[in-house]
Amino acid sequence: MSAEISLDEVKRRAQVAGVAIRDDRWEAVRRLLVEALKPLRAVDSRAIATLEPAMRFDARGESRKGPTDGRR
Amino acid sequence: MAGDELWYAGIRELGTRFRKRELSPVELTSALLARIERLDPTLNAFVTLTADRALAEAKAAEAALLRGDTRPLLGIPVGYKDIYATRGIRTTGGSALLADWVPDADSTCVTRLQDAGCVMLGKLITHEFAWGIQSPGHRFKPARNPWNVDHIPGGSSSGSGAALASGMCVGALGTDTGGSIRGPASFCGVVGIKPTYGRCSRAGVLTLSWTLDHTGPLARSVEDCAFLLQALAGHDAADPASSPAPVSDYAGALAQPIRGMKIGIARDFFLDGADDAVVSAFETALRTLRDLGADVRDVEIPNIWDAPSFMVIMASEAFAYHERDLRERPELYGDLLRERLMSGALYTGSEYVQAMRLRERLRGEMLDVLRTVDVIATPTSPKPAPTFTQMWDTRVGFPRSNMPPFNLSGLPALALPCGFSSAGLPISLQLAGRPFEEATVLRAGHAYEQATEWHRRRPPV
Repeated sequence: MSAEISLDEVKRRAQVAGVAIRDDRWEAVRRLLVEALKPLRAVDSRAIATLEPAMRFDARGESRKGPTDGRR
Repeated sequence: MAGDELWYAGIRELGTRFRKRELSPVELTSALLARIERLDPTLNAFVTLTADRALAEAKAAEAALLRGDTRPLLGIPVGYKDIYATRGIRTTGGSALLADWVPDADSTCVTRLQDAGCVMLGKLITHEFAWGIQSPGHRFKPARNPWNVDHIPGGSSSGSGAALASGMCVGALGTDTGGSIRGPASFCGVVGIKPTYGRCSRAGVLTLSWTLDHTGPLARSVEDCAFLLQALAGHDAADPASSPAPVSDYAGALAQPIRGMKIGIARDFFLDGADDAVVSAFETALRTLRDLGADVRDVEIPNIWDAPSFMVIMASEAFAYHERDLRERPELYGDLLRERLMSGALYTGSEYVQAMRLRERLRGEMLDVLRTVDVIATPTSPKPAPTFTQMWDTRVGFPRSNMPPFNLSGLPALALPCGFSSAGLPISLQLAGRPFEEATVLRAGHAYEQATEWHRRRPPV
């Protein structure tokens, strides 16, 4: 997936979320999203299918790959 | 004892002088209150000063000392970041939204330091809700960097860094969601430790991001941080993330040498784009650690460049926390914070979950590295403190930071001075360790500190 995010996409996202952003700040928000989402867009989620999210965060926990999802 | 010797004295020395009756907590507190009165109109570190209460607590500490009380923090004057609830004392979070909020209970960390005998000087200014930056026109003035008041002191524990560097308090509380303890420590030339997630309670502290928020101390030396952390650490039933892991003897661990300690250098990401002065100071620090007998070697964290996805998690959680107020009273937020919080609404649920998956992978890789070394060393910040003008320039993006990987992983991370730029601004070394091994991180930092003089330099205030 491309790391690029257009201003139109940012505006669409804001419209869906129902939030208002000042006209002169769209570009700054777009840059924020591009940087934050770059690692996510670089990953093929199928390649990490067994990796569970850190929803219950425990600093000491061992790395959890989680149970197989049945596809592999 | 007067002047710099008094204003910059450490906890061990103060305790010794208290017990020899060469100095009293009342004399020390009075001297610091006078210094605050003189310097704070320029530095803006304190948002609320509690002078009467401080003097009453200092008198009580004096009486306890006469009774033979041996607590190391007894009579030590401290400031609390204004994001920690304090009973009967206004707690603003640096926000107009809470400008008049007076909590009816102390946060757990405040309770623990007060129970340990600390004297509360007042509340220290924080960036708005620990994320915004006080732009011109904001309800509260921004703290300024004592090394050069045209530069920011770092944030969000901005008042904590500025007050310590200028000798206005002996210890301080900060919070750290993406570097808010270590950043001010770095930019102000002081020491701060973000303990392991779950080590110090978040109860009674305003939330920025539940899974990334950490509480912890700042001070002017590693040993002082160890004393403060000793009082703060430990399980708290009021914090759902609090850990029951046993608490180590932090100050006791400092005396052990670091000969043979394995220190890993993760160059990728952490040195990317760093200023030459920062790289030079960092490499010199590594030579010092080698000279102390540490086994310094390069390590690799394969997916370290996933770290910027930290922002997806922080912004999403922060928006969830602030959503009602943002929608109903947006005018009470500063422009910059409102925009940052609103950006949290722009991520999808799937993106939040994917970021939490990458977080899990990164945490696992960092733990894998820490099976081969005891400590990971990096520069705390790739660059020294920017100017206010640079920070307020809306065309400039959010600068990349070396600190969030340790919020994502929850690992303990210490920031301590390791040099100065040619402009006279502090440069900082970051040392991170295994979960709940703060003692190891502090031991490495203390050994380095004892071999160098950076922490003894004073700003021109």
